[in-house]
Amino acid sequence: MLEIKNLHAELEEGGKKILKGVDLTVPAGQVHAIMGPNGSGKSTLAYVLSGRDGYEVTEGSASLEGEDLLEQEPEERAAAGLFLAFQYPVEIPGVGNLTFLRTAVNAQRKARGEEELSSGDFLKLVREKAKSLKIDADMLKRPVNVGFSGGEKKRNEILQMAMLEPRMAILDETDSGLDVDAMRLVSEGVNALRAPDRAFLVITHYQRLLDHIKPDVVHIMAEGRIVKSGGPELALEVERNGYGDLLAEVG
Amino acid sequence: MTAALDRIEAAGAVDSPLARRLAALDLPKGGFTAAARADAADRLALAGLPHARDEYWRYTPPHALNAEKAEPLPVPEGPQDAPLFEGVGQLRLVFVDGRFDAGASDPLALEGVELDVLSRADSQADHWAGEIYGALETAGQNPVRRPHAILNTLAAPDGVLIRVTGKPARPIHLVYRRSDAGADVYLRHVLRVEPGAELTLLETGMIGARSNVVIEADVAETGRLHHIAAKRGGEPKTGIGHIFARVGANALFKSFELVVDGRMMRNESVIDIVGDDSVAHVASAVLGDGADGRFHHDNTVFITHGAERCESRQVFKKVLRNGATGVFQGKILVKPGAQKTDGYQISQSLLLDGDSQFLAKPELEIYADDVKCSHGSTTGALDETALFYLRSRGVPQARAVVLLVLSFLADALEEVEDDDLRARISERLEAWLIQRAQDSEA
Amino acid sequence: MADLAATPELEVREGVDRETVETVQNMGSYKYGWETEIEMEYAPKGLNEDIVRLISEKNEEPEWMTEWRLKAFRRWQQMKLPEWAMLDIPAIDFQDQYYYARPKSMAEKPKSLDEVDPKLLATYEKLGIPLKEQMILAGVEGAGDTPAEARRVAVDAVFDSVSVGTTFKDELAKAGVIFCSISEAIREHPELVKKYLGTVVPQGDNYYSALNSAVFSDGSFVYVPPGTRCPMELSTYFRINAENTGQFERTLIIADKGAYVSYLEGCTAPKRDTAQLHAAVVEIVVLEDAEVKYSTVQNWFPGDEEGKGGIYNFVTKRADCREARAKVMWTQVETGSAITWKYPSCLLRGDDSQGEFYSIAITNNQQQADTGTKMVHMGRNTRSRIVSKGISAGRAQNTYRGLVSMHPKAVNSRNYTQCDSLLIGDQCGAHTVPYIEVRNNSSRVEHEATTSKVDDDQLFYCRARGMDEEEAVALVVNGFCRDVLQALPMEFAMEAQSLVAISLEGSVG
Repeated sequence: MLEIKNLHAELEEGGKKILKGVDLTVPAGQVHAIMGPNGSGKSTLAYVLSGRDGYEVTEGSASLEGEDLLEQEPEERAAAGLFLAFQYPVEIPGVGNLTFLRTAVNAQRKARGEEELSSGDFLKLVREKAKSLKIDADMLKRPVNVGFSGGEKKRNEILQMAMLEPRMAILDETDSGLDVDAMRLVSEGVNALRAPDRAFLVITHYQRLLDHIKPDVVHIMAEGRIVKSGGPELALEVERNGYGDLLAEVG
Repeated sequence: MTAALDRIEAAGAVDSPLARRLAALDLPKGGFTAAARADAADRLALAGLPHARDEYWRYTPPHALNAEKAEPLPVPEGPQDAPLFEGVGQLRLVFVDGRFDAGASDPLALEGVELDVLSRADSQADHWAGEIYGALETAGQNPVRRPHAILNTLAAPDGVLIRVTGKPARPIHLVYRRSDAGADVYLRHVLRVEPGAELTLLETGMIGARSNVVIEADVAETGRLHHIAAKRGGEPKTGIGHIFARVGANALFKSFELVVDGRMMRNESVIDIVGDDSVAHVASAVLGDGADGRFHHDNTVFITHGAERCESRQVFKKVLRNGATGVFQGKILVKPGAQKTDGYQISQSLLLDGDSQFLAKPELEIYADDVKCSHGSTTGALDETALFYLRSRGVPQARAVVLLVLSFLADALEEVEDDDLRARISERLEAWLIQRAQDSEA
Repeated sequence: MADLAATPELEVREGVDRETVETVQNMGSYKYGWETEIEMEYAPKGLNEDIVRLISEKNEEPEWMTEWRLKAFRRWQQMKLPEWAMLDIPAIDFQDQYYYARPKSMAEKPKSLDEVDPKLLATYEKLGIPLKEQMILAGVEGAGDTPAEARRVAVDAVFDSVSVGTTFKDELAKAGVIFCSISEAIREHPELVKKYLGTVVPQGDNYYSALNSAVFSDGSFVYVPPGTRCPMELSTYFRINAENTGQFERTLIIADKGAYVSYLEGCTAPKRDTAQLHAAVVEIVVLEDAEVKYSTVQNWFPGDEEGKGGIYNFVTKRADCREARAKVMWTQVETGSAITWKYPSCLLRGDDSQGEFYSIAITNNQQQADTGTKMVHMGRNTRSRIVSKGISAGRAQNTYRGLVSMHPKAVNSRNYTQCDSLLIGDQCGAHTVPYIEVRNNSSRVEHEATTSKVDDDQLFYCRARGMDEEEAVALVVNGFCRDVLQALPMEFAMEAQSLVAISLEGSVG
């Protein structure tokens, strides 16, 4: 599904090198987790993959089902099936959540040459998906993320994911700022979307999210590279011993 | 009315641009307005036309508005009425080149309203509008002179006179059309909202190659007036407008204007809050594109709080591109004794490219202590993070910009109280924006 | 300023509230209102080319300087008084003023303190300037040779029109810093003066700058050489003493590449029934990577409760961040003067240069202030910040007037402006007149302003804890000004706290 080879990236302004040769393959149907200390480059990887301005890829490649991602505009990547759940979802005052969702869903359908959803079908679909995430009608009407609590914002991200049905979803620190109940809701939302033709990349600092979303593979990232990969037990090891030992071990 | 010209010439302005401009006009003699027109001639002779050195004209060059004649503007083919309020139950009054067109208008009959047009009524010596015509304009000349409004009092031949005594079921819709490419239009509307009465006044269309419109609105205690103007886009126009409103106790005055494109426009809102516990809001959403020559839009607002416990709100949003210029000059004046005033003012500009500019002078002048007044002003480009967020959800760049522009304008649109009217304006705005995005891509 | 010398460097911010309260209890309403009877030497009243020549002659100036003044004088004669400020300024008869006055005793240098006019010494003592500095200021020969004490502030005192002495000169000289009176600089460092004088505030910039350029009698000069951090704070102390005398001092500060200097300015004047004119010009040149902090505590006599007397303070202050990464910070506490007309400004010409303006302006009784700043962004990535706190009480009028201008080439620049007004009593006024001009879209400008009254809940809370109303107001107002007080150097913060309290005396009840 997702194939990253020797990816190097730096900040456009100042040229600080952040990704220093990331190699990562996520096959369809799997959930991979990336863990790592602050500043290891986890969020940058998510941004570079989704095409945010401000980073320059100096070397390497990233592709989604064989298609080169790096040459595409952010919306093309989204239409190709890439989804990023933001660590800090953006507030857009004055634009209703429903308007936002419908614009996004139909833009993607159009880009893929599919029929746009009618208002009725769209509303039905949203209500259905919103219900399982405990997102009420009021939240759907309010402007995008404006006045939402931390938990509401993250649930809203998952709702978008459910509506957009990506093939490859990247969750950037989706657990940050969530209490136990919100974490369970969000995780259930994610788990409900697990499918043989869909893959997930879960970026997290802590192991606790991985209790709810069971990963197939765990990668440890440090200093802009994947330094170690293993099974779910690797996350537990981090939980027990911190990153220090692990990083010392890989040098 | 050569008497007016004589007065101006007597004041030593024989060969002034003002005298030349007046000489070209067919000045109405006036019936019930005669005294006000004569007085206006005297005042205009003293004031002269605005000068680029005047403090309140520092950001807007007055030449095009002062010029002797309007620059001719070809009349577009096809229907001119903006279908914006089509389907809304309404009483339509049509003005062609600034003259009332009875044939194209609905009959002058609406329950709860006394209706008249200035060109007809002004043959009478007495009229209820005589107490207002020129009076609110004159009061609004202090402390800042507004010579074009004086000129309007002197020269306006037509307009509508609306006295609201009840709560009419339908809004009154003033529809403007053009037939003459050189039309230099003076329009004067006089409104009186009696105690307990309520009216919604709509304005749409194209007034003239150049326009000078003055609305005097006297909202008595417990009266309510909603004013919504949406000027047709896609056509260059030059014009100056003034609204002079006097707001009585427990009354409400709300004015919203949508402006899309144009050339050189200035709108002045002069609101005098004279009764306790009243509310006055003025808002505007402006989309300016300087691609076809130039775009310059100036909102100048002066709200005076002369009573206790009143609320005023100014919400001005401008989206500018291709070298467009936006200007905002807003003032909240709180007079001594106007305690518990709640005054708010926000002026914001979104610059879509590096050539456009926003010039603002948001002022507070406060002489009472128990008040809550604030103003904010921001200028900048689109929020890149929000743009990326939208694009990462698959929304194409151009569409994402449209959404963010709508988001930026939302606070101003919120000032339209009526849900249906607001939705129509919002949809129209979105359609315009999408159309423009497609045009610029093509 | 006056208390500074006597005040050890204690923890000002912790001690603030107690200090404020004590100050209210202990101090008179204007404690600098005494007058020193010293025999003065005056030039004749009035202004003409001969007076300008006389001032130049008295200062032993070279010909080029005399010509420079005359040019300014001719310019001034063509100019009109500015009328745009929200100030009600009584007609000023510019021919009914003395343009030059100096203590006679300064004609010859005294050999020891005994020879110094005791009244001059008494003046310094009242101002709280310690003895050693008094000696230096009084011009006692050799006094500057004694080692410096703990308090490291070099002082240049300007008494009426003349700089009467500068302290710590030798130590500053060791660091390469020139700190002297401007008249001395014109004689001793003509190349620097010629190069920079009038380049930040041109003679014809405005009516008062032209007047000042023609008749300035003295002032301070600072040059900090490349890469030098000035070893101590520099301070100028201004006092208008003589009656009917205008004070026109001129300050020129140059921070060469990579230099740093912090400069303090304090002012007082005697109580008089007649108004006195003060029209100063301050020019600051900041070169590459240099930084200048300029702090003012302006405590000129504000006039009495009926508005009689007081100083008319018409001052032009401007800093020119001429090269990349230059930085300037203006901090002002304006409590005095009957009328204040003052806009310390920053020209941000160098890329990545920065300007900051922190201001407290307090007006009480019949005082009027129209003050603010201009931030003119011309270089790329320039930054500016404006924090203004205006407090109006009694029958006073207080206006913030400011300009933020983003030129087309000032790409990626930022401005943030916060402008708050506080009203105490229903007879005063507080006004805000910002001009915001944005001519490129990569820059961001944010302006916020609020006006409100002193919070009743806060006042009640303080009074419930035993403070009287004035103490409570002083406390709350000090809280309101906190952002600006924190920007002041330690010594000044203390002074400013006290002044806030004093200035508001009689504003409640």
